Amino acid sequence: MPRKTSVLTTAAIVGLAATAAFAEYPERPINMVIPYGAGGATDISARTIAEPLGDAVGQPLVMANVTGAGGATGSVAVQNAKADGYTMLFARVGSHSVNPAMKATLPYTLEDFRFVTVYEINPVACAVTPQSGIKSMDDLIAKVNEGGVTFSSSGVGSMPHIASVMVLREFGIENPLQAVTHIPQKGGGAAATAVLNGTATFFCTNSSAVASFVANEQLLPLLVTTAEPVEGFDAPTAADLGKPALHQLVGWTGIAGPDDLPDDVAAKWGEWMAAATRNEEFRSRMEARGSIIQLMSPEKASEFIETQYNTFRTLVDELGMRIEG
Amino acid sequence: MNDRAGKIQLGIGAIVAAVLFVAVVIPNFVSAPSNVPNVILSPRFWPNAIALFTGLTGIGLLLTALRHPEDERETPVDVDHRGMALLRLSGVAMVMLATVYAMPRLGLVWTTMVAFIAVAFLVRTHHPVSAVISAVAIPLLLYAFFAHVAGVAIPQGEIVRLP
Amino acid sequence: MSIVDSMLAGLALVANFESFLALGAGVAIGVIGGAIPGLSATMAVALTLPFTFAMSPITGILLLLGVYKGGVFGGSIPAILIKTPGSPASSATVIDGYPMAENGQAGKALGMALWASCTADLISNLSLILFAGWLASFALSFGPPEFFALILFSLTIIAGVSGDSLLKGALSAMLGLMLATVGLDLVYGTNRFTFGNPNMMGGLNFIAVLIGLFAIPEIIAMVWNPKAHDGNTRSLGRNWVTFQDYRKCFRSIVRGSFIGVFLGSIPGIGAAPSAFLSYSEARRKSPNRENFGKGEIEGVAASEAGNNGVAGATLIPLLALGVPGDVITAIIMGAFMVHGLQPGPMMFVLNVDIIYGLFIGLIVSSVFLFAIGSIAIRGFKYVADIPRGVLLPAVLVLCIFGVYAVNNNLFDVGVMFAMGWVGFVMLRYEVPAAPFLIAFILGPLLEDNFRQAMLMSGSNPVILFRGPITWFFWALTTITVVAIARAGLRASRGSVLAGDPK
Repeated sequence: MPRKTSVLTTAAIVGLAATAAFAEYPERPINMVIPYGAGGATDISARTIAEPLGDAVGQPLVMANVTGAGGATGSVAVQNAKADGYTMLFARVGSHSVNPAMKATLPYTLEDFRFVTVYEINPVACAVTPQSGIKSMDDLIAKVNEGGVTFSSSGVGSMPHIASVMVLREFGIENPLQAVTHIPQKGGGAAATAVLNGTATFFCTNSSAVASFVANEQLLPLLVTTAEPVEGFDAPTAADLGKPALHQLVGWTGIAGPDDLPDDVAAKWGEWMAAATRNEEFRSRMEARGSIIQLMSPEKASEFIETQYNTFRTLVDELGMRIEG
Repeated sequence: MNDRAGKIQLGIGAIVAAVLFVAVVIPNFVSAPSNVPNVILSPRFWPNAIALFTGLTGIGLLLTALRHPEDERETPVDVDHRGMALLRLSGVAMVMLATVYAMPRLGLVWTTMVAFIAVAFLVRTHHPVSAVISAVAIPLLLYAFFAHVAGVAIPQGEIVRLP
Repeated sequence: MSIVDSMLAGLALVANFESFLALGAGVAIGVIGGAIPGLSATMAVALTLPFTFAMSPITGILLLLGVYKGGVFGGSIPAILIKTPGSPASSATVIDGYPMAENGQAGKALGMALWASCTADLISNLSLILFAGWLASFALSFGPPEFFALILFSLTIIAGVSGDSLLKGALSAMLGLMLATVGLDLVYGTNRFTFGNPNMMGGLNFIAVLIGLFAIPEIIAMVWNPKAHDGNTRSLGRNWVTFQDYRKCFRSIVRGSFIGVFLGSIPGIGAAPSAFLSYSEARRKSPNRENFGKGEIEGVAASEAGNNGVAGATLIPLLALGVPGDVITAIIMGAFMVHGLQPGPMMFVLNVDIIYGLFIGLIVSSVFLFAIGSIAIRGFKYVADIPRGVLLPAVLVLCIFGVYAVNNNLFDVGVMFAMGWVGFVMLRYEVPAAPFLIAFILGPLLEDNFRQAMLMSGSNPVILFRGPITWFFWALTTITVVAIARAGLRASRGSVLAGDPK
């Protein structure tokens, strides 16, 4: 152990260690806030990267699930934290692009965070049950025009909520809010169940969340939003269907700190993430779940999120979906 | 206080709460969008229904109490010195407030040590020595367990950090 | 492949030292994790998950199942000893378990909790093995209207746990329903009673409310009157549960187990309502109904049977449909997927050896639970011997750590304290706490399913009566409400005639 750290440890044991500003970041464990519950997509993604990332950081990463309000509770916890780099957030598409676009009441905006990376992209897939008789997007649109179509989501302001609306609009439904009924559920599992038991006609969500249903032939995928086909999904891509605008509609996971995070801290995270995402085991584990590992630098990540936010914001404003109350 | 008086107080309390909720709290603190197609889908429908039933329950409690004037069962006298008891009660309230205030600043371990001793004193423990020993040992043990075994980020405060 | 072949294939997979070690370790971790308030079975499973990544699929999943089973039982230990349910599922156990501990029967109550848990566990596992396919297709016929009818019926449990005064019970339930509306509205995403505080947007944390309502009022009550407990040094209670006790409660245990199996196989209900339903059924059927809530051993047996009966059955929708029924099974599903297994109908075809391996492991887990639970009880029951002047402050500290750990949020500690004062006032006015909890759990389900049904039908209430399942529950609800009303009338008339204060 280097001498400086051993002195520090001794000091800590006798209970004298103050927050040592002079020491090199990071000199103690880093709190990583996961704004969603255990077992969810964000949680699994975060805990999978924590292993190689912890090795790169050289200090333990303490994972803390702070759930509630569609990711808002955990995000606020980091927004209000000291920008010393010891409290970081696993930001997700729901908490940091759909929610800010849809909710005027949200206690934070994108400007309150400084993104240090986006490392995972999840294709979005739309699915129906085989019993519904719907076999393609054209069938679905025809059915929507007849009326009585419903879709489920994991809640108001969640990614699946805006995903279904955006997909329908791309396929020529002028006002999806009037044409179909949204039946929000509590969580992703419930949203899938609602389609399985016929409560809702279709839903659009992370491909990983429907992969097992597709493999079991309980659900039929109609479309994936990426340009490349997704393994295990026998469905056309958005590119095949001539809807390149839908490539914007993907899930992602990234890491962010409070907005006044120092530059050197952000730069360090860039290096660590580069090292962590090279880990073979991490890649294969994530890819087995249907994720695409795509590392973005801090600047690239902010730009990516900003673009997606603006796309969603435009859609929300055009349709009058913004939640004011 | 006897059972009847208790019911009357509860009944009145419930009615007042129900009226307050319907008239003030729900309109001000439950926001409903203007484009709700049907009143039963409104975010306010459910709280209003609950408030209504609360009021009805209150009326029911009041009526049963008034209809049975003979129902004067005394709840056993429990404290010999009411003033002291109230003082202790406000003491524990202060301890709780102070705990909530101090937790983010001092960290969980030091705060709970003080809270332990304060509460042990308030319940007039017969084992002051073991109480003090436990007050130091238990928060440290819990910290060790939660932080190092369960991997929970226990708040440390800004003054003294534990490893 | 015949069933015998599948069984043999499964046996080949689990019949090794590693699997049994994982199962045993899992049960032990679960019992300890469940026994620490705030840690709960859910957290214990979540914390164990990363360790399973490196194991073979069957070993890893057996480890998690062991934690799950152990955790559901473990929750009853603090519920009985310190009136702090380790998990929501064991809140019904408090009603009779804690009075038993107060009467010096802590050992007996814990013993019965263990026996009931193991019996229910076994019944639940067997049901999983025998009826998985059938129950799964049944569970999928539960849409919002069916849920609404089922939950409306479940709310009638409140009458069974209200104690002396039905109206006080109703008031308690209304309070629970109202507090459960705090947070974001399901359909519009707007704020309800959040008062501009972002921490309130997620609603009040259930564990914080639960512990606040049960454990904190005990502490405040002791501050209010330290002398009340001077006389009774709660003796350990040397008397262990006897086979006679077990036989006496056997009917309630079996009934509770099947209630658990039924409710567990439907995704989204969970163990707490099942425990309460089982408890209220046991009370309704029992000859010594009067003693329920005052330390009746059958109450402990019924509650524990109800919550452990769920533990095997929640795997039915998971394995047969790929739908996780609650948070714990969602985490376990994550473990399946990490290993490249996709739960669902195809798994019974593609990975039948793993399925049967799990079945065998589950049956064995009941035995492990019994053995490890017995050891744990022997260790934990000495808690009852700690003088209250030291025990209660310690409980307070434990609750603070535990409630914080649930969601890593200090705000929840404040919620716990506030609920403690609500609970203390309720205690003073003899308003029962159990109806509050039931309403707090079921209220959001009732409202959400009602509104989802209305969305489905375009606000046409006829949908609430759309099929045989809804009719069945509506009929049950009507019968129960009529029975409660008649009993209530008879009681009040009786007390007027006899001039007998009830």
